[in-house]
Amino acid sequence: MSTLLIIVLAAVVILFVGVISMYNGLIRRRNEVENAFGGMDVQLKKRYDLIPNLIATVKQYATHEKELLTKVTEMRAQATSGKLSNEEKVALDNQISAGMQGIMVAVENYPDLKANENFMNLQRTLNEVESQISAARRTYNAVITLYNNGIQTFPQNTIAGMMNMQRKEVFVIPETERQNVDVKSLF
Amino acid sequence: MVSQEEIKSLYETELKPQLAGMEKMRKFVKRWRRLAIASGIVAFLFLSNCSTAVEIIGGIVFIAGAIYSSFKAYGTYKKYHKQFKNEVVRKVVQLINPAYQYNPDKHIELYEYHKAAIFRPKAERFNGDDLIVGKIDKTPFKFSELKTEYKTTRTDSDGNTVTEWNTIFKGLFFLAEFNKNIEGQTFIFPEKDSGLTNIFGKEKAKSKDFGELVKLENPEFEKIFSVYGTSQQEARYILTPVLMEAIVNIYKTYGLTMYFSFKGENVFCAIPFSRNLFEPNIKKSGVNYSDVEEMYVLFTLIETIIKELNLNTRIWTKD
Repeated sequence: MSTLLIIVLAAVVILFVGVISMYNGLIRRRNEVENAFGGMDVQLKKRYDLIPNLIATVKQYATHEKELLTKVTEMRAQATSGKLSNEEKVALDNQISAGMQGIMVAVENYPDLKANENFMNLQRTLNEVESQISAARRTYNAVITLYNNGIQTFPQNTIAGMMNMQRKEVFVIPETERQNVDVKSLF
Repeated sequence: MVSQEEIKSLYETELKPQLAGMEKMRKFVKRWRRLAIASGIVAFLFLSNCSTAVEIIGGIVFIAGAIYSSFKAYGTYKKYHKQFKNEVVRKVVQLINPAYQYNPDKHIELYEYHKAAIFRPKAERFNGDDLIVGKIDKTPFKFSELKTEYKTTRTDSDGNTVTEWNTIFKGLFFLAEFNKNIEGQTFIFPEKDSGLTNIFGKEKAKSKDFGELVKLENPEFEKIFSVYGTSQQEARYILTPVLMEAIVNIYKTYGLTMYFSFKGENVFCAIPFSRNLFEPNIKKSGVNYSDVEEMYVLFTLIETIIKELNLNTRIWTKD
């Protein structure tokens, strides 16, 4: 066998191994994105589970907030219907977040409700879930950034193009949620 | 927290006279210690050349002298040491907060050190002192000085087995109750000192012991620390953007190397110090404000950690 043939063969093998490892790397990143979205979904589900309880408690005291409560209940029903795409889920979740915040602000007008033990427990649980959701979102963004870096940099982008992998969007927090929550006003 | 002025005034009115009274003892120890060392050297000179009866007798006499002086120095040193801890350190602790309990002979327990799991070589020798237990608002905490070591044996050129003790950690070890429930474990290591990355900045295999590397969004934090943990999400649940900023602030204020670990109920923090803390120094005059000031700074550090980490905020499911 001539030396040239060996060199060509070696180059082909190296190229092949390189392509395989890049392919695997991209698949791994895509799976991580799915996994992170799953993690977020779990936390969102926890929040959906809390909503009926919260609404039932708030309803007893906050008689003037019927419209807001109904709206949140409707959004929850829509979110748990299981018919939504990931993007729709995210969009709806942002609306629910705003609705929940609206409820918490409205609660300010009902001192009896604020002092209710059941409500205080719910509020704690909700804070917990909100922190978990925010952690899950940050994880999701970190994984998405890795994924996007992977599919947009050379030479992986050629393989990503062949695999039809698209750039994914990171989470953007809507303007209404950017304001800091005033913890004192919650209690 | 008391102010630095209050500490200064405690020093002037109470500690200074106390320390001045103890000066005699310190000088006594210093004198006898010097004598012990000098006698030891002379005895060595005599015995290294022991050919005549005079040299042998001289050697024995000076050895006896060295032993006697050592006993004298050691006995008084123990008294001086005890008095320093019980009367000087205790007073500073009490001024900072009368509810804090100070125990000069106790330390953080071995199981607590193991739970933090910050340092991986198995600790084969474990000691410490100056345990302080207290509570700031809703957050119980404790800290002490700690030293852990592991043993290595090697064979020297003569074929003898030599045992060596290597320090794993020496410094201040602190733990407090954390305000969120934690299921896994998360670590924050100083980027430079953890030894978990190679020269190309890639993770070494041993970093796997601590879980996955967690890349966070705060570039300033990432420059100073690296985070490892059993769960990416839990690490972010603990390390909120606010908390990252707080840790950067603590680092900037005190400039200390800090290791953190979060597990179960607790946050642990290990701060290496090469010198002994809360200890009297025989060599220099005991009457100086800098020792007291150092203790004060250490206390402010602990309070700063608890406050900056918002450990008193209990809005989550944990009370």
